[in-house]
Amino acid sequence: MRLLIVLSIIFAHGACDIADYYAKRAKLAEAENLLTVGGNYPLDHKETIVNRCLMQHKYRELDYAFDNPQYFNCSHHFFVYKNKMRESKVYKIIKNMPKGAALHVHDMALLGPDYVMNLTYMDNLYFCFKPDPVLSGNHLFLQFANQLPNKTCDTWQLISDARRDAKNVTEFDFNLRKHFTLVVDDPDTAYPAITDTWDAFMNYFTTIIPLVTYRPVWEQYFYDALKKYREDNLMYIEVRSVLPNLYELDGSTYDQIVTAKSYKKVLSRFIKDYPDFEGAKIIFAPSRYVGNAELDAYIETARSLKNQVPEIFAGFDLVGQEDKGKPLIDFVPKLLQANDLNFFFHAGETDWYGTQTDGNLYDAILLGTKRIGHAYALTKHPLLMKEVVEKDIGLEINLISNSVLSLVKDLRNHPLNTYVANGMPVVLSSDDPGAWEAEPASDDFYVAFVGASSRLSDLSLLKALGENSLKYSALEPTRKAAALRKLNFQWKRFIDNFDCSKY
Amino acid sequence: MNAYTIAFAFCLFGTNARFLPEDYNKQRNVIINEEILQSLGGRLALDEDELAANEIIMKWKREEVDKKFRDKQPEELGDRAEKSKVYQIIRKMPKGAALHIHSSYMLDVNSMIALTHEHEDNLYACYPNDNDLKFQFSNTVPTEPCPVNWVLLSELRNKSGNTEAFDEELKRHFCFTAVAKKDPYESINDVWKRFEKVHKVIKSLITFRPVREKFFYKALEKLYDDNVMYVEIRSGLNSLYELDGSVHERMYMARLYKNITDQFIETHPDFMGFKFILTAYRAASNEKVREAIDLARDLKREIPEIFAGFDLVGQEDLGRPLTDFLPEFAAATNEIDFYFHGGETNWFGTSSDENLVDAILLGTKRIGHGYALLKHPGLMSIVKQRDIPIEVNVVSNSVLSLVHDVRNHPLASYLALDMPVVLSSDDPSAFRTDPLSHDFYLAFVSVASRHYDLRLLKTLALNSIKYSALDDKSKDKMNTVFNENWSRFIKKMITTCD
Repeated sequence: MRLLIVLSIIFAHGACDIADYYAKRAKLAEAENLLTVGGNYPLDHKETIVNRCLMQHKYRELDYAFDNPQYFNCSHHFFVYKNKMRESKVYKIIKNMPKGAALHVHDMALLGPDYVMNLTYMDNLYFCFKPDPVLSGNHLFLQFANQLPNKTCDTWQLISDARRDAKNVTEFDFNLRKHFTLVVDDPDTAYPAITDTWDAFMNYFTTIIPLVTYRPVWEQYFYDALKKYREDNLMYIEVRSVLPNLYELDGSTYDQIVTAKSYKKVLSRFIKDYPDFEGAKIIFAPSRYVGNAELDAYIETARSLKNQVPEIFAGFDLVGQEDKGKPLIDFVPKLLQANDLNFFFHAGETDWYGTQTDGNLYDAILLGTKRIGHAYALTKHPLLMKEVVEKDIGLEINLISNSVLSLVKDLRNHPLNTYVANGMPVVLSSDDPGAWEAEPASDDFYVAFVGASSRLSDLSLLKALGENSLKYSALEPTRKAAALRKLNFQWKRFIDNFDCSKY
Repeated sequence: MNAYTIAFAFCLFGTNARFLPEDYNKQRNVIINEEILQSLGGRLALDEDELAANEIIMKWKREEVDKKFRDKQPEELGDRAEKSKVYQIIRKMPKGAALHIHSSYMLDVNSMIALTHEHEDNLYACYPNDNDLKFQFSNTVPTEPCPVNWVLLSELRNKSGNTEAFDEELKRHFCFTAVAKKDPYESINDVWKRFEKVHKVIKSLITFRPVREKFFYKALEKLYDDNVMYVEIRSGLNSLYELDGSVHERMYMARLYKNITDQFIETHPDFMGFKFILTAYRAASNEKVREAIDLARDLKREIPEIFAGFDLVGQEDLGRPLTDFLPEFAAATNEIDFYFHGGETNWFGTSSDENLVDAILLGTKRIGHGYALLKHPGLMSIVKQRDIPIEVNVVSNSVLSLVHDVRNHPLASYLALDMPVVLSSDDPSAFRTDPLSHDFYLAFVSVASRHYDLRLLKTLALNSIKYSALDDKSKDKMNTVFNENWSRFIKKMITTCD
């Protein structure tokens, strides 16, 4: 309403003199600013001082880029600027800032290739290569076992033997590491189109899954992931998991509930060690490339999770490239029957407008999704935008993911700009940071701040994004309130201890 | 939140009823249909013939989109478009007017090369290297500075031994897309530099009065051939020269254009003519801009029927912001209509982005590009309420580095929100595109929803008349002519079934 009033005042009389003109102009800018995410958060005295420091660096960075656009990071591929970006003062401030929660991360890509490389030094790890059916080069398969595995390939070898026999271990490891990351030197050549990126991305998962689902690895992996997320100043995460079956050296496997229980076990251990960490929940998110029969099994699993591990179970989702997978509409009758579950659907992670993928947005909302994963296509749907605002459905925005996975080249064209400007309920997350060697939250926060929001957006935006991440979490009301208090406390500490000269 | 709702308050959504299983599909279709209805042209009624034609065009559109969706083809312009059935239909479709075209880029490259064969005995070239080229028509060897000797172009052409190869090479200088291999790390400023270089070459050829006459006449033919019946041309008015070196005053060009158009209309009576939007460079001094506004006043006084208004041109990121010229604009605001470029940038919160605010506050009649507008909900609602048309140039924005994949172009949202949009082509010859067909095609197939149909195309054409600077009487006439042409187009489509 306020905006309308301001506008009608502005246009009540024509432009008189230039001072009057500037006054109108300022009013208009103010009206727009009030609309933005965080735009109605007044900063207190201390925050204003921090903001001055932050904005001084932001302006310097952006104004340089405006004059020298070839050096503007966010218009290039993430792989090109990822290391350079971390030198930025704005980045360093964001890194130290409490950022709340990561609500959209997949468990198989929580940690990056350096961590994974360490796992390859463990005993009993076999590997083999097979020519990749889609991409050029060989595909790497891994398996922990107490005897030679007998599936997939016939050239299994202990990785420790191969490394020992390698002429040059550094080179051996260098080549091995390439299989644990999408990062390459020349991404535009390596990934000319979205299909190529997704093929590589899917390969990443087939390589990683047997490595981390070895039960002893799994428990340590999740513990170390929590540690890494906490170090990036997050206090809570919601993990989308296919709930892989964990296995032992002898090849015996466990059912999915065991995986969920191991999550719970690790989480309690972690919270005991780091009591300031609020916790984690899982969203059961199996593959969308299935038929209705498998969906029945999914729903059954989700229900038993809800019964057996209610405190860490948040809800249900389906994953995999939307353009290629089944649209939600195929599953609607069954999903309507399953409305005892909370849904956190991926939807509209696509550039295609008016296609079945794009249509997933209708179904996600009609099915009562609590949040929408990506919602990249939502700006093209004004009615759904309105629904999202009315129902206060959180939009999980993953900027770097959208750029790496070929939806958008220049982040200034990312719809987040519009969502922020319209004060939409957005949260930032990092999707699969390990796969592209991003930080759990800082990298995405940084590119959102300098590349996908107004030059004028300031500390208020960052603060609001942090708060949103808890507000739209699946935490129970009392825990949510406690978490917000905790964030507020962390935020105050960050502000109180802020020293501009350190940056 | 509230204000957001207002910004898009033109949407009326159903109640918050809980969706029962049996209602699900109904509810879903209600939303989808409502979205289509509320989009640009969504409520346009089609008659029986049009509905039949719509079936045809939509069959081709769906086939094309679905194939691209399956193959995950990256979008491409140019030759591929011509093979498309949808493009072929759009090409024949009456498209109304082109409201955002710069004067130097109205004539396609092949015709430009043909022009270099005219007055051959007097066309000198300064061609020091592969990248630089300048023309001058003259009785004697030109005396203007040139790092090498001025040579007759015909001499160079003959010496090359292969006229065709020579002309093919020459084309590079007249258009933009073929200039260099695309370098992903080339900055937008470099792209504009290349673009402005093309401009200089073209300008050096068409400042010669006899060539300009042919240039403009052929450009009108080109528009007519693309089923475009009226054009608004952004131009600074050049001082044309004669072979003896004498130079005309700038107003001469305006009269020349009027005469040529009158002549053209004699043989093409359904063509509606043109108007000028006079321009100055946005990097220019205040004094230069003042002079340009004075020229606009002169034109308005002398030949009001071909005068639309005033604008500033050139890359917005590098040019001076509109606020720099407030005193000049304020002094002219009661006499001159503005048609400002605004927000042709992907920066947000910078001076180029804020040009949008000023264009609107200065009462612009239309907004050139408005690329950044989507990021400004306050301005969006003003534009909607005050019905300020946005001149969208999809191909241009893509070629000039604003957006790599046109599916990310804000036009998609403008259409969904039923914003007042017209399509144009900005610099068609530089991009080797038709005056309007390629832009219509790309907008229809690649930017707009797969669901949007003939209603959108017709509305875009009608918008170009509605939002033109024509007076009401001329608009009526143009609408009448349009409707006749449109019916003929529809009839032909349904009888020949393609």
